[in-house]
Amino acid sequence: MTKKVNRYFGGFTEKQAKWLNQMAAEGWRLIRTGKMAYEFESCDPGEYQYAVEFIADKSQKNAEDYKSFLEGCGYEVWYKNANLSYSIGKVRWRPWAEADAQITTSWTTYNKELLIVEKENDGKPFELHTTAADRIGFLKKWRNVWLSYTAMFFLMGGLFLLQTPIASAVLGGLGLLSLMPAVLYQVQIGKLRKEKDIDN
Amino acid sequence: MRDNAKSGALTEVTFFVLLSLYEPKHGYAIMQFIEEKTGGRLVLGAGSLYGAIDSLCKKGWIELYNDSDVRKKEYRITVLGRQIAEQELLRLREVTRIAEDIIGG
Repeated sequence: MTKKVNRYFGGFTEKQAKWLNQMAAEGWRLIRTGKMAYEFESCDPGEYQYAVEFIADKSQKNAEDYKSFLEGCGYEVWYKNANLSYSIGKVRWRPWAEADAQITTSWTTYNKELLIVEKENDGKPFELHTTAADRIGFLKKWRNVWLSYTAMFFLMGGLFLLQTPIASAVLGGLGLLSLMPAVLYQVQIGKLRKEKDIDN
Repeated sequence: MRDNAKSGALTEVTFFVLLSLYEPKHGYAIMQFIEEKTGGRLVLGAGSLYGAIDSLCKKGWIELYNDSDVRKKEYRITVLGRQIAEQELLRLREVTRIAEDIIGG
């Protein structure tokens, strides 16, 4: 038996993983993903576990290498989009990404921002990142994504300042909004550093 | 993963990855090695292991040994890696000796 469910989580990887794990607990295993659609087939409840990772900072080569590595570990892996754009020939700039991954197109890593990873449940928690330094690196990645949005909104707001102050205020507001998650990530990084006494 | 350059201490993960690669292994086999040897005390996530392998390759402590199967690339320890692991063993022996003197062993 299979079923299709439409859901959209954007870049919220933890929410998506939680939902997939819930589906698995209810006896539904992921077999296919679309833009918004998730296709499941029935399995034993709790037979599989899921993790979702944000990989848009990796170059196409590194993303594929990482995917192969995870598959070599015996996991089932899917690429997943974090956005809903349908256009072909899209080009995006990711100032927070690796040097050779800053410009992305629909032929490379665009619409492949996330990896969904499935593991057969062996009774142990399924975590891809287990070291403190690694978790800090992971949080830093998200902080930088939001910081780059903040910078871009402020920059655009500045450009409109003289001609259309209203647009400028709106952009400034968006800038402040995207600063909030950056601050939250920074707080988590600080906590982890303190906990583990790591100075990187 | 951050190894303390000043004291020369390796993180446990680094040391175990080096030890696992005295015999060439692919990623999953490294994970299993670490879990088995520590009786499940140290469990390494695949994402963390991927980062560790990348960083140790860049340091020249381990190297790619066989990539005929992209999903199961094999790595092995280098001469430099062995030196680093031997130093760590000496350091740990010293730590153990001092601890045994004080605590009694």
